[in-house]
Amino acid sequence: MGKTEIAVVGGGAAGMTAAIESARAGAQVTIIDENEQPGGQLFKQIHKFFGSGVHRAGTRGVQIGRDLLREAEEAGVQTRLNTVVYGIFPDKRLGLICGDHTEELASEIIILATGANENALSFPGWTLPGVMGAGATQTLININRVLPGRRILMVGAGNVGLIVSYQLLQAGADVIAVIEGLSYIGGYGVHASKIRRAGVPILTGFTVLRAEGKESVERAVIAQVDEKWQPISGSEEVLEVETICLAVGLSPLSELAWMAGCRFSFLPALGGWVPAHDENMQCNLPGIYVAGDLAGIEEASTAMEEGRLAGLAAAESLGYLPPEEGRKRKEELRNRLAALRIGSFGEGRATAKKKLMRAMCEK
Amino acid sequence: MRIEDHPILGKVERGRKITLKVDGEPVMAFEGETIAAALIASGQRVFRYTEKRVEPRGVFCALGRCTDCVMTVDGQPNVRTCVTPARDGMIIQMQGTPDQRETALDAGEGEG
Amino acid sequence: MKGNDLVICRCEEITRADIEEVISQGVTRMNEVKRLTRAGMGLCQGKTCGRLVAGILARETGQSLQELKPSTSRPPTRVLTLGVLAGSKPDND
Repeated sequence: MGKTEIAVVGGGAAGMTAAIESARAGAQVTIIDENEQPGGQLFKQIHKFFGSGVHRAGTRGVQIGRDLLREAEEAGVQTRLNTVVYGIFPDKRLGLICGDHTEELASEIIILATGANENALSFPGWTLPGVMGAGATQTLININRVLPGRRILMVGAGNVGLIVSYQLLQAGADVIAVIEGLSYIGGYGVHASKIRRAGVPILTGFTVLRAEGKESVERAVIAQVDEKWQPISGSEEVLEVETICLAVGLSPLSELAWMAGCRFSFLPALGGWVPAHDENMQCNLPGIYVAGDLAGIEEASTAMEEGRLAGLAAAESLGYLPPEEGRKRKEELRNRLAALRIGSFGEGRATAKKKLMRAMCEK
Repeated sequence: MRIEDHPILGKVERGRKITLKVDGEPVMAFEGETIAAALIASGQRVFRYTEKRVEPRGVFCALGRCTDCVMTVDGQPNVRTCVTPARDGMIIQMQGTPDQRETALDAGEGEG
Repeated sequence: MKGNDLVICRCEEITRADIEEVISQGVTRMNEVKRLTRAGMGLCQGKTCGRLVAGILARETGQSLQELKPSTSRPPTRVLTLGVLAGSKPDND
């Protein structure tokens, strides 16, 4: 059986910063990631991030991903790539699938940073080739450099929907429309303005009724909806599109946290069922931490700070940091997280995070 | 459709050209890209037909999670093409196609 | 394609009608829907259909999403072949 001090499950934004922080403190750290290389969703993010200078504002996710990879290597972080964690067992043992065989990994601390999954929207024709997640589209255009279609309908006007629409335009596609079921646009105004200026209409109060086509998407039928989300008859429009992107939210990928026995809270503002954690990112099970989108759907910037906080707290618990230094640095990270949870978007998440931490004290 | 030039990402750097055999037909790919990317670039959107309802499926999540894009690769079924790198000479076959079913039925297998 | 014929579990091709059928027979929990319809037991292990099934259950039974915890998570998180399990490294490291 393999052994490590700190096992980080998931090598995305949160996992990498957690590993870097704890390795720099002196711990033996292993990142386990199912992909060929770490980075999670960072390498799809070709746009510049928001936030302050310390939050890498003005930097593209792609560059941050490259920097983190280098920092992880320099810090001596071990990686197990193309490896799936298929189970989490008592006394913090992990079951790994490595190609054609399985292995076990024993560890003192587990940091779960497994990220999130795109939500699905079901409607007649949604299984036709051509209907895909907005994140899937982003992977295809920014990493694989292929267009999934020329004429696109984007469903969902949150940040993901708006950003991916803009990236589709940059990639040379024609975004026919962005539709949003709610009566308002959920994403940042600056993103909405950019795509409107490029001639893309954003239709609020609209939903997709069905996708049509023989072997793949050839048309989308959209319609206006009333406050009860019922289609208003007579408002149907037919759009000639080959691709329908679904940008209808993300949910934490939490199977391992459920399996381990973490306590969960249902918080729509954070994406649904979220594992509860304390101010050190530790869940109700000693030695198991959570960070990033798994601990609540937010942004890459919060994922990186939560990762650092979890990594620092984990290293401190193993004795790698003097308590005073640990206390100071954790406080600084908590302040940085608070600074990211402001404004009309951030406040909702800040409140939900407080509820999540209070759930730790219940029962 | 391949994206050759891009305002942010610049000109694409691709690996060497390789050839895949997809249901008997040659399909051009670049070394290092995923099988799914190569197929989409070549204009293919249907990757398989489903077991029960014989319905076409293609790429849905592009991350290796939903398993809609699976094909038989070099004899191994259920390979997730969106996370599998293409290699020169790979033999790729669609699963569940209508004529595969006809053959199975003729041979006395399948439902019945 | 009629509304009821709508595929919900993409892997196992379980339709909304299949799910509503077991609900009409008295099923109220996610685990039971999964066990009786196989929705969520396919290759993706419910990653895509989980929320959709919860939504249907909530609508049909009046339960809130808060009352509908996802079905029990047991190893393996991925579908494994017996060969891969059998090929485990011997525990003598």
